[in-house]
Amino acid sequence: MSATASHTTHARPQAKPGRTVRFRIKRCDGPGKPVRWETFAVKPEAGANIISCLQQIAASPVTVDGQKTTPVAWDSGCLEEVCGACTMVINGKVRQSCSCLIDEYAPNEGDEITLEPMSKFPVVRDLWVDRARLFDALKRVKAWVPIDGTYSLGAGPRESAEQSESRYVMSTCMSCGCCLEACPQYQVEESPEKWPTSFIGAHAMNQARLFNEHATGAVLKGARLDTLMGEGGVNDCGNAQNCVQVCPKHIPLTESIATIGRSVTIHAIAKWFRG
Amino acid sequence: MPSFIEKNHFLLRRLHSLTGIVPIGVFLIAHLLTNSSIIWGGAALREGMHDAPFADKGIAYFQEEVAWINTQVPHLLLIEITLWASLAFHAILGIYYAKTGSANTDRYPYQGNWRYRVQRLSGYLGFLFIFYHVATLRWGWTFLVPGGTEWSFRYSASTLAAALHGSTAGLTTVGVVVSLFYFVGVSLLVFHFANGLWTAAITWGLTISRAAQRRWGYVCTAVGAALMLMAWMGLFGALAVKHDDAKRIETQVHQATGADSHVAPAGSVADGH
Repeated sequence: MSATASHTTHARPQAKPGRTVRFRIKRCDGPGKPVRWETFAVKPEAGANIISCLQQIAASPVTVDGQKTTPVAWDSGCLEEVCGACTMVINGKVRQSCSCLIDEYAPNEGDEITLEPMSKFPVVRDLWVDRARLFDALKRVKAWVPIDGTYSLGAGPRESAEQSESRYVMSTCMSCGCCLEACPQYQVEESPEKWPTSFIGAHAMNQARLFNEHATGAVLKGARLDTLMGEGGVNDCGNAQNCVQVCPKHIPLTESIATIGRSVTIHAIAKWFRG
Repeated sequence: MPSFIEKNHFLLRRLHSLTGIVPIGVFLIAHLLTNSSIIWGGAALREGMHDAPFADKGIAYFQEEVAWINTQVPHLLLIEITLWASLAFHAILGIYYAKTGSANTDRYPYQGNWRYRVQRLSGYLGFLFIFYHVATLRWGWTFLVPGGTEWSFRYSASTLAAALHGSTAGLTTVGVVVSLFYFVGVSLLVFHFANGLWTAAITWGLTISRAAQRRWGYVCTAVGAALMLMAWMGLFGALAVKHDDAKRIETQVHQATGADSHVAPAGSVADGH
């Protein structure tokens, strides 16, 4: 590879100004309600993203067939790909809708973009899903550093720069759900009583590793591994490795899964002999 | 009340992984090595048949090896029962685990995702194939063999060829179907083992970094390629065998090694010919 090749700017398709883009959207009025598809025509502004087009649709919710309908509901927060709330399935693949630029996805007149809610979480309405199970998983693996006590616990152990650096990328997880949406082992589960035995997912194993490798967080390592050893834990991973392919933060999720696998192997053998 | 599977989740998962390598994987290597000797055995034959064609010497070597395994390996039945039990355990749990997934290669057509899918598909089909293979050639379920040939370790190459061909006279239409089933079955199983070896290293936590997983991937690919070559050598070697010629060579081997006296105990049912 020559030095010039690596500096070549990524050529974006030239988007046609004033074009009309069609949005085919999977809609649902609420939990248990029937699913329907509706198509809208939008004239995106330069630099528009999915959210701004959804705002245009909300301002005038009329389908291409001229049918007046309700505004499409969606969830969003930061609009800069750090909160994870606006995650949805765009043209068949999961990603954040705020960072999905229309000029790239639909540069030509009449191009169509398909929007679906994530399929691994219960739909609240339209493109808005309930990710409660994802956050419940973080509680199950105690994804925190225990610092609360009835007396002062004093200063924590020193962390080396190397440790901090290796943990940094793991800490960039925004709990968006991309890894779970793309995972063939993670299935939608609406009843919370089944969550403890259903596959926990890559994000939680990454967080367990993040806090296991933190000098103070390591206090809870045994409890985290007990959870991840059981049903729905690391052993239920099928190693398809889609998680690492779709992670918008490029977190080495498969390395975290393998690390938890190693920790659990050692933990289990130690427990078997030690009692 | 948690079920047995739930209570022993970790142990069963790891036993499932382990049994795929020991004893099943180790046996697969030994089995394919023996099978492929029907091709390369001519180069390894230690004595006799100096003037015979290379293919004939391969049949002779294969016959010597198979007879040795069936007469000299101690506790053979115990080894076989261990294998059958391991296969049943690995297959039943494997199907149970595979049912927890849902393939999505249509939306995420990554190479790893395809291997995930083929791993499960090869598990289902491979188990069917192994059952047919063991039932017909080991347990003597000749009603499932076109032509009804019973495999015998005393006539290992000739009875194998007849079971694959569908007759002792040459390849029949049903024989083509059986042979295709063998080709697909054995190829899928070799993939299943090589890919399983790769994922097992992640499961147990041996390979952690992506670089380590890539390196171990090269090793597993090499192991898989070598086993695939051996599997195809064994299958095509057996298909190329002419029943009558092989039987003549096998009889020569019996006479040369004086095997007749100890190979066939009185009242042996294994000797179908």
